[in-house]
Amino acid sequence: MTKKLNLEDCSKGGDTPLSEVNPGEWIPLPPPYDKSEEQPGLGRITEERKERWVCNLDGVVALALPKPENTEEEKRAVEQFTSGLRKLLSRENNWTFLQPLLLSLDYCAQCQTCNDACPIYLASGKNDLYRPTYRAEIFRRLVDKYAKPGGRLWARLNRGDIELNWTTLSRLYELSYRCTLCRRCAQACPMGVDNALITRELRKLFSQELGWAPQELHAKGTVLQLEVGSPTGMKPHVAKDNVEFLDKDFTDATGVKVSTPWDREGADVLVIHSAGDILTFPESPIAFAILCNAAGIRWTLSSQVGGYDGVNYGLFYDDVQLTRIATKHAQIARRLKAKKIVMGECGHQHKALMATADRLLIGDLNIPRESVMTFLEDLVFSGKIKLDPSKNDFPVTLHDPCNIVRNLGIVEPQRRILRYLCPQFREMTPHGVDNYCCGGGGGLSVMSQANFTDWKVTVAGRMKFKQVLEAFSDQPGPEVKKYVCAPCLNCKMQFRDMFAYYGAREKSGIIYGGLAELIVNAMVDMNKPFIEWEPH
Amino acid sequence: MPQMELAGNRYEVDENGFMQETEKWNEDIARAYAALEGVAELTGEHWTVIHYLRTYYLANGICPMVRRLVKETGFSLKRLYDLFPQGPARSACKWAGVPKPTGCV
Repeated sequence: MTKKLNLEDCSKGGDTPLSEVNPGEWIPLPPPYDKSEEQPGLGRITEERKERWVCNLDGVVALALPKPENTEEEKRAVEQFTSGLRKLLSRENNWTFLQPLLLSLDYCAQCQTCNDACPIYLASGKNDLYRPTYRAEIFRRLVDKYAKPGGRLWARLNRGDIELNWTTLSRLYELSYRCTLCRRCAQACPMGVDNALITRELRKLFSQELGWAPQELHAKGTVLQLEVGSPTGMKPHVAKDNVEFLDKDFTDATGVKVSTPWDREGADVLVIHSAGDILTFPESPIAFAILCNAAGIRWTLSSQVGGYDGVNYGLFYDDVQLTRIATKHAQIARRLKAKKIVMGECGHQHKALMATADRLLIGDLNIPRESVMTFLEDLVFSGKIKLDPSKNDFPVTLHDPCNIVRNLGIVEPQRRILRYLCPQFREMTPHGVDNYCCGGGGGLSVMSQANFTDWKVTVAGRMKFKQVLEAFSDQPGPEVKKYVCAPCLNCKMQFRDMFAYYGAREKSGIIYGGLAELIVNAMVDMNKPFIEWEPH
Repeated sequence: MPQMELAGNRYEVDENGFMQETEKWNEDIARAYAALEGVAELTGEHWTVIHYLRTYYLANGICPMVRRLVKETGFSLKRLYDLFPQGPARSACKWAGVPKPTGCV
């Protein structure tokens, strides 16, 4: 049994892991995934890496933080963290999220309702370390003690006294990446406290004050996007060349002419896909091209630096990078004189550019922005494209990307499409705004240091994988081909890793893909099935 | 930055063992990587893929899409997994001495 944790434990024990991941306590999965001994399990951190990296949380490493060289370095980090705590509470330094942060710090009633809403906490077998309130309450007490006048005395007299030392803050750093920012806890809270925001602000403090951020999100994420155009490293001419290659390749494969317009000025619709879709899931941008062309929409892609990649990892960890990228997207649309931007099938892009950026984009930068869900719904029900639902006569379920569904409230458009086009559509339980995160949210799906992917697929994604299996429990065998519609790039990456880990395609016949692909698959004018069931 | 010994010399690699100084690559390095993954001998098919990956990477600063790799080399995805145990990104790119793909891929 994993030991019970007190809040104060987080500052004790130095290099010793605070807790452990215990596979024997994970919630069970349905057969044939119920035998944990048949699963690959969690990789161990090598001794050589333990020498170099901070590895004091749970035996999992997402961040590969180098060990401090001396006590001076530790002291400096603690000072920077303390200064960062104060900045988070000031309007000048936290113009983005000050009010919801203050409310979330002030109004927690310690009722613990949120814990049972957290898929990571539940999947882990209720490990204290992953309680949404464990992380948040440590943070809250550190704020009270170190960032408020008279805080130290208050802390000693009232609510326990958590010491801020290197151990505390290095554990908090790693722990801030054991949350997918799905905000299911915030929705469950009777007071509206947002523990995901607290996690995100903690990440922001580390990034903006200490210069600590996951390599995949920062150095090889937002920095690369601003310099080159995309975290994938894809330069403008390479992006264009790739899509031109895909246009031709899919024209050959489908027999239907595929073409993509670039940099068309004054278009009604500027579509910003994620570059990862172009590179790794090209069926998605190609399906878009087929649909837009068939419906006669005046649309375009942009080959400006950053205009062909809608991701904005800044949302996950840093306000400055978030703002730079969101502004860039809007500037590109303005330069092209686009009437509106349509988001690709990417959840965090929706939240960053449609919701969060509302506070950043003013004047003529405030270009109308629309979700792919309503855009595709209009297109499907416009009558401009002939569709035959019998072409989609296989079991389909829908995964709700947290950022689109729970966080933006876009729930029904995608369902109206699926109910119309997929005769065997069935919901997961629970779904809609009550969905479980795929396990890759909050930037986690692009992070893959050491054994972090193992943790993502076994713990963070466990509730989702269980739901998927249960949604198809009437036809569990691999002989029936089944489709998880996951209209978000990050979610698709998590499903890819998860299905590969468990062998879900081979054992259960389950594949995943986007929404646009299902629509194209149902088009009367397509002579061949668009969805490919085998790896290709 | 970690280092790794390959074919008698030490090279800078990332945490997953991908070479960071792609210009120092040579064919013996590819053979050394292959041996570590249990492939004793590199065939003409291996070299076709490795040289294509390097040429594309040096021209474009990024690895090619799998779909393009399949088309340009004429090998199916299944064949690529037969040739390279962990697939095109994790094995073939590594053996070719080009960095691991980054971002949402």
